[in-house]
Amino acid sequence: MIPTPEKYIDTAKKAVADPVLQKALTGLQERFGRGAALAYQQLPEGPDLRHVAHDIRMDAIQHLDSLLEELAGNFRKKGGQVYFARDAQEAVAYCLKVAKANNVRRVVKGKSMVTEEIRLNTALDEAGIETLETDLGEYIIQLANEAPSHIIAPAVHKSKEDVGRLFENKLGIDYTDDPPSLTQAARKTLRKKFLAADMGISGCNLACAETGHITTVSNEGNIRMASTLPRIHMVFMGMERVVPRLRDLDILLRLLCRGAAAQKLGTYISHISGPAGLDNLDGPEQVHLVILDNGRSRMLADPDFREMLCCVRCAACLNVCPVYGKIGGHSYGFAYSGPVGAVVTPLLVGINRAADLCQGETLCGACQNACPINIDLPRMLLLLRAKLADGDAKWQVSRRSQLEKAAYQIWSRIMQNRRVYDLAVGVAKVFQRFLPTSKGLLRSLPPPFNGWTKSRDMQPLAGESFSRWWKNSREGGAHGKR
Amino acid sequence: MASADQQTFLDNLRQALSKGAVDAPVPAGDPVDRHADIYQPQTRIPSRSREESLSLLEQVIQESEPINLKVTACSDIQAAAMEISRLAVESQPEFGDKKQIAAWNHPLIKGLNLPEALKDTGIPVAFPEQTHAGDREKQRQWIFDAYIGITAADYCLADSATLAMKTRVGEDRSVSLVPSIHIAVIRLEQILGSLKELYYILDNDPKHVKEGLTPCLTFITGPSKTADIEATMVHGAHGPREVHLFVVTG
Repeated sequence: MIPTPEKYIDTAKKAVADPVLQKALTGLQERFGRGAALAYQQLPEGPDLRHVAHDIRMDAIQHLDSLLEELAGNFRKKGGQVYFARDAQEAVAYCLKVAKANNVRRVVKGKSMVTEEIRLNTALDEAGIETLETDLGEYIIQLANEAPSHIIAPAVHKSKEDVGRLFENKLGIDYTDDPPSLTQAARKTLRKKFLAADMGISGCNLACAETGHITTVSNEGNIRMASTLPRIHMVFMGMERVVPRLRDLDILLRLLCRGAAAQKLGTYISHISGPAGLDNLDGPEQVHLVILDNGRSRMLADPDFREMLCCVRCAACLNVCPVYGKIGGHSYGFAYSGPVGAVVTPLLVGINRAADLCQGETLCGACQNACPINIDLPRMLLLLRAKLADGDAKWQVSRRSQLEKAAYQIWSRIMQNRRVYDLAVGVAKVFQRFLPTSKGLLRSLPPPFNGWTKSRDMQPLAGESFSRWWKNSREGGAHGKR
Repeated sequence: MASADQQTFLDNLRQALSKGAVDAPVPAGDPVDRHADIYQPQTRIPSRSREESLSLLEQVIQESEPINLKVTACSDIQAAAMEISRLAVESQPEFGDKKQIAAWNHPLIKGLNLPEALKDTGIPVAFPEQTHAGDREKQRQWIFDAYIGITAADYCLADSATLAMKTRVGEDRSVSLVPSIHIAVIRLEQILGSLKELYYILDNDPKHVKEGLTPCLTFITGPSKTADIEATMVHGAHGPREVHLFVVTG
């Protein structure tokens, strides 16, 4: 099943009704959401370091053209190869071309959301290249033929019993639901695959222009395996991931690891700059860096959304979002879920196509507080909603509802005229008597307003307006008459 | 050497950047300098007294506990060799039943004289590029079949108990990655305060400036781990399930 953002409401409904998923999401948020907040507090510089990180990232984005040029130049100097891909097709085609030229039969992958974004695995499968995900969570969902439901904990929706049955079926081991035994089974299977693979594919957490290296972070060691053992290593990088200086990594890595998993530093952080020397026993003979645009330059061109390019996809916002915590990652229907998905997905695939994503979020602000870069996600969610309400030529957004727009225009006229307003409210007061109620609340409004009461009750209009009550209470003594 | 794809790509970015010119001017200068009240950049390579280094070692030991890194302080290199031999005898291989050790060809590791120390146990120790000189495949195979990998490190960061190591000839990355048990040996002076200090040294120490980052600079913070099944922490996902750090203090 290919997830798609159009099915947001249906998938979310199923998720809310799934007790196993609800338990898993609650556990995830209690563990990582709280952990990250505490980890920021314990930074030697304090949580304000997030503001420095925001400035570093924003500065880099404002100079993206020259930084990428510097990165590519320095990466090539060390013997690496760089390809600039304007879209998913170009990136996939480059990967297939390199694979073909080097007779690649088996690929091992480290977890990379950008390769999910461009659907690289499907293309490799179709080309007859065995492609294995090696992050344990990604491996589980690949075996189950599902999509990741969290940026860093992709199999969070699977119970240990699910994984036990899956491994029993696919790996031919005896059923167990013991996480250490299951992990051991995957470790054993994948170890052989690492040793036999021709190409390792990974993402890139951050790249550095002045040194010409890319940085990867993992806890399992699978990305180190994929970038050390096969003879070719290919790195896919969203074009925004570059920073100017080596020392910028100090602040960003410390914040990234705290945001992602409440760790001081992830277990493995590799700074990779080019292929291994001839005298090295391990390390790839070829390193390819694919720098991907795929719609990001449109965000760059819009000052309203440029800030989104500061994001390093740590998933901290997912771990605190009350909406993600109920509907899970699959509802968002794309590689990126949670608040980051609700902003990035519409901008990448089309704001109308992914309209429900920004409408579904609550604008509570938890995501911004959890973000290690302090990105103002609520601001951008609100802007996306405004574009859907008003339409927007630059982003090719059509108004979501002409009727809603017209209704608000009429309402705005009514509200600006006292007499008309009083008349309208008077009429509504009469009509509301005929509506079904429960515990003093209106259960449903007549069409075309019934959408509003589909999932909520509404407070009825009071018998006496506030202004009338105020006036009466002035005239009738200190307590007024009700 | 910019290719055609690069030219079109970057031209497109330049256009996007000018289109999206933000009304407020971009503040001048380094963002780190603009936040001097929060973040104090490193300005010199510290030289530490023995007491200061010992207190950093204390910090390493403290930080190692939550991440399951085993730290042992040894008064001299002979003591470290004895501890490592004992560990080799007591530990069992995870894959198969063959006991063999792969080690870096590094002066500190060579100085442990482990082949001699382990002679009576029958556990062979190989410095791969010497043992099978010229046969790359055999050398790699030795590392894959080893149950213990022994490396040095460039530095250890006290505030997160992180090992930092470059890759050089004879100092292969897979030795710290593929065997089930990773043993690292450093001297007390190699302990630094923080990541900030490390990057400052890499940027400013002439030795490091000349060498560059090497094809791969790796940080290792404890053993490999995963929590991908119901958020249960399991050690040994793909990398080593145990990491032991021996700090030679004398």
